[in-house]
Amino acid sequence: MSQDLETSPPPEPPTNRPLPPGDRLGTFLARPYVKHIAIIWVICTLIWIPIAYWLSDNMGAGPAASKLMGALKETVFVFTLVSAPLMGFVLAVILYSWLGWGRVSGDEVPDLKNPAIKGNPIAITIWTIVVSFLAFFLVTWGIVEYTVVNNYAAGSDNPEKLEPLEVHVTGQQWIWSFSYPEQNGISSETLFLPHNRPVVFKVTSEDVIHNFWIVPMGVKIDANPGEVTLAGVTPDTLGSFPIRCAELCGMHHAFMQTQAVVLDKADWNSWLASMGVTS
Amino acid sequence: MTTTTETVATPVYPKNFLRCIRRQNVFTAFAGGIVGFVVMRILASLFFRGEFWHGDSNRIVTVAFIGWGVGFMAGIGAFNGVFRWFAGKDLDHAEAEYMAGKDLGVKRYFRYTTDHKVVGIQYLVVAMVILAIGGTLAMLIRTQLGISMELFNPNTYNSFVGTHGVAMVVGMIVVVTGPIGNFIVPMMVGARDMAFPRLNALSLWLVVAALIPLVMSLFMGGIRDGWTVYQPLAIQAPPGAVGYIFFIVIFAISTAVSSVNLLVTIIRMRARGMTWSRTPIFVYSVAASVGLALPFFPFYMYSQLLALSDRTLSTSFFIPERGGSVWLYEHIFWILGHPEVYVIVLPAIGACMEIMVVFLRKPLFSFRTAVVGIAGIVALAGLVWAHHMFMTGWAPLAGYPFMISTEMISIPLSLIVLVMIGTMWRGKVWTRLPMMIIYAVVFNKIIGGLTGIFLSDVPADMHFHGSMFVTAHFHYMLMGTGLFGAMAAVVFWFPKMTGRMFDERVGSIGFWTAFVGFQITFMGMFAAGNLGMPRRVFQSSELFLLSNQISTVGAYTIGVGMLIFLAALISSWKSGVIASSNPWGSQTLEWQTPTPVPLENFPVLPVVTSDPYQYGVPDPYQVERDLETQKEPVA
Repeated sequence: MSQDLETSPPPEPPTNRPLPPGDRLGTFLARPYVKHIAIIWVICTLIWIPIAYWLSDNMGAGPAASKLMGALKETVFVFTLVSAPLMGFVLAVILYSWLGWGRVSGDEVPDLKNPAIKGNPIAITIWTIVVSFLAFFLVTWGIVEYTVVNNYAAGSDNPEKLEPLEVHVTGQQWIWSFSYPEQNGISSETLFLPHNRPVVFKVTSEDVIHNFWIVPMGVKIDANPGEVTLAGVTPDTLGSFPIRCAELCGMHHAFMQTQAVVLDKADWNSWLASMGVTS
Repeated sequence: MTTTTETVATPVYPKNFLRCIRRQNVFTAFAGGIVGFVVMRILASLFFRGEFWHGDSNRIVTVAFIGWGVGFMAGIGAFNGVFRWFAGKDLDHAEAEYMAGKDLGVKRYFRYTTDHKVVGIQYLVVAMVILAIGGTLAMLIRTQLGISMELFNPNTYNSFVGTHGVAMVVGMIVVVTGPIGNFIVPMMVGARDMAFPRLNALSLWLVVAALIPLVMSLFMGGIRDGWTVYQPLAIQAPPGAVGYIFFIVIFAISTAVSSVNLLVTIIRMRARGMTWSRTPIFVYSVAASVGLALPFFPFYMYSQLLALSDRTLSTSFFIPERGGSVWLYEHIFWILGHPEVYVIVLPAIGACMEIMVVFLRKPLFSFRTAVVGIAGIVALAGLVWAHHMFMTGWAPLAGYPFMISTEMISIPLSLIVLVMIGTMWRGKVWTRLPMMIIYAVVFNKIIGGLTGIFLSDVPADMHFHGSMFVTAHFHYMLMGTGLFGAMAAVVFWFPKMTGRMFDERVGSIGFWTAFVGFQITFMGMFAAGNLGMPRRVFQSSELFLLSNQISTVGAYTIGVGMLIFLAALISSWKSGVIASSNPWGSQTLEWQTPTPVPLENFPVLPVVTSDPYQYGVPDPYQVERDLETQKEPVA
């Protein structure tokens, strides 16, 4: 040791300059636990990718039956992915704290000699900026997407710019009924809709609050007694889709269900004819 | 119970105390309540003559419940002080000590006792009773949903759902602020008792008085309309719904009384030297919680009083065909309904922050950030209620501002998460049960927070609103964060409250069983909601059967776990290892008093000279950096 001191040049005297930022980051990254947490962080973040796919694929138990529902699925997918890194980071830290930095058991109060870290302006600033940025992104996404969804509901996504079909929806304990004022006011307890034509629902209730929910189309609006609420959609998939009541409405709330049947042009006309409407 | 030495002394009855008042306790309270109920019921039947044979009409039940409440409170002795004060004579010192339970032994737990420690224990028992009622109903609900046949009548099922909801909400509101807030907070701030000891006893016995109408409502047609009891559906419900209204109105009074008491204690009675920057974070979180409850709970009371008036006085605030508005009810209800979530969650999170520093032997990572986070939540809590009404059709454009305000809450909440993980950062951990529970709490809080982001966003809420997804989300917040946080708090403060150590071996078996069951239950529920299963349904289609069965299995697992935890709690309370005065080596004031805690807490009132987080050694990395940047060369 003494030989080294004699042969090597004298060490540089310490300066009062802080380490350059690159070096500080470098020394931080060189700490043993940082790499481990980074790896766990990446894994914990990647876990959310299949979850995001699973969530958006299974929304409403199947593929979207309208562009509106497609927008909802996209929102859920993006939100899951965007929040994944933050969730992953918190998970990584609690996992590492649980298993990685060491643990002591026993009845006696241990002397753990843990570092007394009281605040870290850099960490707090970065965290606040990142979280605020994420929140800002989510809010912006929400505002834009809500506008898009409202436009879809108003019928902006129909290819042929057709006039919307008006359907009056009435909830009562515990059935739905639908009437078509432009088609001589015919009414039905199953909702028949034409394919690719915008529909406007005027929803109301005769007794208590119900909620009109065509699950795979993303239409959801309360049916309030004494009020008429509006919803809209352009169904773009043929088939039949469940309608459920999503607001507790009494004894048989669970069974207040029916079907929305989307018909192509020929079937729609023949249904109208069968109801006695000549077009 | 901590009565080994105290039972020996015979209590000194103050001479001028009336004999009957001396003997008032919970039994005379029940007797008084029953007498009041029966008398008022008969009087009401005579008065509302036309309704005599319709024994359960709303008016008669209302009047009878008023009789119950007044009789119960008179029976417990809540009015004694008032009458004596009207007579121009307040309690003298001996009487005040007698009311605080001096030398009364176990009896003091069954009386209108003003000592905050007794009230804390009473609150703990009452909260556990309420949670047990709610939990039992949850098991019945899950049993029905897990099978595809009709086990109950749908109306019975709906009343289970409603009663479960409201019991759990109220149980969760009192489970931290009641026991820990009353027992620990005055000691934590270095006071001899709460600011208003008699109001403290009043707030507890009001909860007990309120509990009976809730239980009775189950046998009078039940609360069939969910805990939100939306109008006008609730108008159709049988008079059991009056039990709900009474429960809420009395509980709201109790909350106001308790909130004022805690706030005044925290603001005015902190020990000398305990500046705001030396006040423990748990005290902040309790202050924030009761500070939110105080302005917002009256809205809940209004909504129920207006509903009661619709029922009994033929008004029509919420009856559309007579000019009422259903949206009015929803607004008044949710103006409380959302802040109430923070009323529940904040004390639990504050307790977790308070506890984790002790087991990490590390100071809180940025006390100020934690305070800013709590303050931010309090500031935003009142501005977000209408996100419960995105899909009601009320003002669709209002979706924009409420979406923004709701998503803003994630910023202060994330600051609290930062403080929690920052406190864990680079710390060896002392693996005792409270600390282990905190890991579970943080995990659940993340899941609850993430799913909350979906629900705050109008487009995503268009799918999730009113579905099982919402149910799973708020269970992650209220149960996963709130209740598990409360369990950590109870285990942590158990030695101080009971004088015995909690049996952590059995307790952790119970807790982890409940935790695993919890994940199974609510992951299954997320799946069902995502597939499109509405909330509060009695039976669902085949599509959701599998996820419901998974949830039911999980729910039974929670039930088993909670029973094991309860067994550990009861057996440790009866025969646990005697605890020393400060078994965790904590620095907050409540641990600096002897156990069992003497009547006036501190032999000499403490003086505070630093914040209670003086743990750990200087950070070696920081020391290194300081050396590197030091002006003078190191010798």
